[in-house]
Parts: sequence; C-alpha cells; structure tokens
Amino acid sequence: MIHIENLSFRYKNGRKPALDNISLTIHEGEFLGIIGGSGAGKTTLSYAINGVIPHHFPGDFYGSVKVANTDTFDTTPGRLSLKIGSVLQDIDSQMVSSVVEDEILYGLENFSVPGDEIEERLLSALEAVGILPLRYRAIDSLSGGQKQKVAIAAIIALRPKVLILDEPTSELDPKSSEQIFDLLKELNEKYGITIVVIEQKIMLLSEYVKKLAVMDKGRIILSGNVRDVLGHSSELEEIGIHCPRVVSLSNSLRDRGADVGGVWINLDEAEAGIRRLIYD
Amino acid sequence: MKGFFDYVPGSSYLHRLNPLTKLLLALMICIAAFISANHLFLVMLIVLNLGIGAQAGIFTRSVMLLKGLLKLCIIIFLLQVLFIRDGNVLVKLPLNIFITDGGISSAFMVVFRLVTATMPLALMLSITQINDLSNVLVTKLRIPYPYAFALTTAIRFIPVFANEMTGIIEAQTSRGVQLDTRNIFKKIKLVLPLCVPLLITSVRKIEGSAISAELRGFHLRTKNSCYKKYAVNINDICVIMISVVIVGSAILVNSIF
Repeated sequence: MIHIENLSFRYKNGRKPALDNISLTIHEGEFLGIIGGSGAGKTTLSYAINGVIPHHFPGDFYGSVKVANTDTFDTTPGRLSLKIGSVLQDIDSQMVSSVVEDEILYGLENFSVPGDEIEERLLSALEAVGILPLRYRAIDSLSGGQKQKVAIAAIIALRPKVLILDEPTSELDPKSSEQIFDLLKELNEKYGITIVVIEQKIMLLSEYVKKLAVMDKGRIILSGNVRDVLGHSSELEEIGIHCPRVVSLSNSLRDRGADVGGVWINLDEAEAGIRRLIYD
Repeated sequence: MKGFFDYVPGSSYLHRLNPLTKLLLALMICIAAFISANHLFLVMLIVLNLGIGAQAGIFTRSVMLLKGLLKLCIIIFLLQVLFIRDGNVLVKLPLNIFITDGGISSAFMVVFRLVTATMPLALMLSITQINDLSNVLVTKLRIPYPYAFALTTAIRFIPVFANEMTGIIEAQTSRGVQLDTRNIFKKIKLVLPLCVPLLITSVRKIEGSAISAELRGFHLRTKNSCYKKYAVNINDICVIMISVVIVGSAILVNSIF
C-alpha cells in the first residue's frame, strides 16, 4: 500500500536532513505505530506519505514514496487525499469551519460525495467518535479533546484507504484515548483500513498496533513486530524513549537469563509471566 | 474587537434568513448610511441596528460593539471638530484653532456614519455561520471558491488570533512584564515586541489550515459541491424589500432636507 524507498528530505534552509535514507513498506490493512523523540522526523515522514512534502514544503527531496502505486512526487496532496486521510498534530489549525457539522461536511463536499450519502456518513462519523450531541456546537466552544475527536471524525467520514494520525490523543484523557484507539482498531479490522499512528503513549500504542517503527534523527532505527521492537528497551532508552515499566522488567529478567516467554506489554501479561516464573 | 465576529447560535427570525439576505440587509444599511446626510436618519439607523441585535438575541453584544467603537468615535469627533472650519465660529482656541457649528455637525455626521456602517456587518457575522456565507458567495454570487475561502478564513481567524494575543499577554504578565500600565506610550513599547510571537504563531496556524484544507480536497471543490441548500422564502423577500425601503428612505430624506 505504502512503499518508501531511500527517502531523504532536507527542508529549505535546514542544516540537517529531516529524513535520512528511509525505506519502509506498509502493507494493506496494516496497523503501524511510529514512535520517536521530538525532532526525530515523525511528522515529516507523515507529510512525505500524504504528499505535503515535497508539494507544500520546499526542500531537497531524494528517493520515492508510492501510495497505492501512485508516486507522491507526481501528484498533488489533494489528489492523494482521495486515498489518504490525515489528522494533523495541531488540531486548532486543522479546523477550517466554525461549527462541528460544517467541519465534517467540508471534506465530503470537496470530494463531491452524493447528497443522500452525506447525511449518513456525517452521522456515522460523529457517532463513531462519540460526539453526536456536539453536531451543532461552535468549534471555539469545544475543549481540546473534543476538537481532536472532531478532527478524527472529519477524516473518517471521508472513508480513506489509509489513515495517518499525528499524535491523535495528545489532548485526550486516558479513557478518551482508549476510545480513539478502539475506533482505529475497529476501522482497521472491520474495514481493512491501513492505519499509521504517530504517538508518544507507547503503552497505549503497543496494546493496539501490530507493528512499530522507531525513528531517531530522521532515520528508522528499528521496525517490526511490537514485541520484537520493545525487546530493545535499553536501546530505546538511549534515544530518550521510555518504555512501559513492565516492558523494561521483562527485558531485564530476560537479560538475566529468565525465561519470560516474550516481552510483556501490559500488567496482565506481567502478572501471568511472574506467576509462571515463580511457580513453574 | 475580540468576540464581535464569533457566531452566536440561535433560531431567531434573522438567524433563519438566507445568508445572502442577511448580507444584503447589512450592505443596504451601510449604503443608506453613506447616502444619508441627515443626522436624525443616521441615529434611526443606529437604533435599527440595535433593534436587529435585539431581535437576533444579541442585544448585549450590540451594545458592547457600540462601546467598543466609542473610543474611535471620540478621536474622530475631536479631529473633525478641531480641524473643520466651515460655518460660524462658536469657540476660539489657542494656536489659531476654531470650533465651528459646521465642524460639530460634520463630526457628528462622520461618527454616526462610522457606527451605522460598522454595526450591520459585525451583527451579520454574529448570526451567520462562516461556511454558510462562503457557500452562498460561491453558489449564488459565483465568486471563485479560493477567494470565498480566503475571505471567510480571514474572518474566522480574527477571534483565534485575539485569543492567541491574550495568551501571549498573559504569559508575559505572569513573567512580571507590566502590561497593565496606564501610560499608553509605555504600553505600546511593551506590546510591540509581542507582535513577533503572534506573527510566528499566526503564520504557523495559517499554514496548518492551508495544509488541512489541501488534505481534504480543497482543490477538488466545484461550485456544485455544496451540500446545504439556501432557499429564498417569503421572510427573505420581506427583508429584501425592507432593505430597499431603507436605501430609498435615505435618498428621500436627502432630497427633502
């Protein structure tokens, strides 16, 4: 679905490349999480996938990015948006309307979705993120978390094949964050939508995504199955990524020779693992 | 002017009008204000504006708008009074400055016109959703979508930037910068450097908004893309007729007096 090959990008007037020789393949129906410290290049990579780079931000662009066999270099972000839905990091600037309903309608109208289908999509998107009562509310009157849900609803209403979300739960409380990830999981499993999430909440991410990619200084330094990646917690700590304590604990025990049976990514797994170590 | 352009939800008679009718009413009141040279008629137009605000359930905001314009009106009034020398001299001041009856009359005229022409547009924006306005500009007036989007985005960003500036001022105040000083020159000196962060965040937000619009098919939009339909009904026709009567009255009053 998404094929990135030897991608390097340096912003105009930038001293260092923001992306440095990145190669990554994201298959159809995959649920990928991207983690990394500030300035690692996560947002730039998302811009490269949705075509904002090189079309909106000028700079030195090398390599290629193909989305559903379309080279992002040869098309516009607008055309790509028929396939890729993007939720940006800065939610306030993502809003283009003053009322929730209009915000959802914006993309649907632009894509010339038939009138009789629009209402159905509008309602199902609002319902999916749990903001149906906010339909007629002014966006300025919403909290940060509510705005984030509106931004997600506006994108899922477009029913894209690929969804890229840049820190979609940054302003949400833990319960709402889980709600959003439950929704993403449903979209991924039920409708086969390919999902790429950039996120700082590793514990939450590791519970939902199938694969993880770790970025540092514009490069992907680790990628693969969630447990395989989290198995390198000491390397992640070195670049400032703090793994959940249960992950670090299982890795420490493993390094000391204990048979932990794979990385524990949540408390339930940790409890079961410790019981097994004690009693077996 | 923070808050004066925010949409106030409601279901009043005026809220339910076609956005184009509201725009026409606002423009007609402005035109009448500029046509008329009669003080009483202009005062009546100001009262009409307040009446519009009351009908739409935003009377308090209308009064606040008047208060907001007061400082500007005082400055304009003083400049007019001090520098227009038409008519009979009422008071002689030092530095060869005269206050004349013509100057006072002209000052009132300019101030009334300013208030009468400013209020309807602000009130119209308070009772019209920006997207509805943009949609009718494109579908009814055939204005190219990028221009309509730019116009409505500029209006939408006014409260956003006002909030941003408030945040910057609060941050600076909490660091001990005395922005609450009454010395206007000192205040200007302190506020001016704050325009730099405001400018940076503004450019960033506008850029983000442009990317967001682009990523949701901005360039794919056609004039038929609009989902909502904006019918003109009997209420709209009534208001259009009232708008014409307002302009006609201004012309009539001018010709009589």
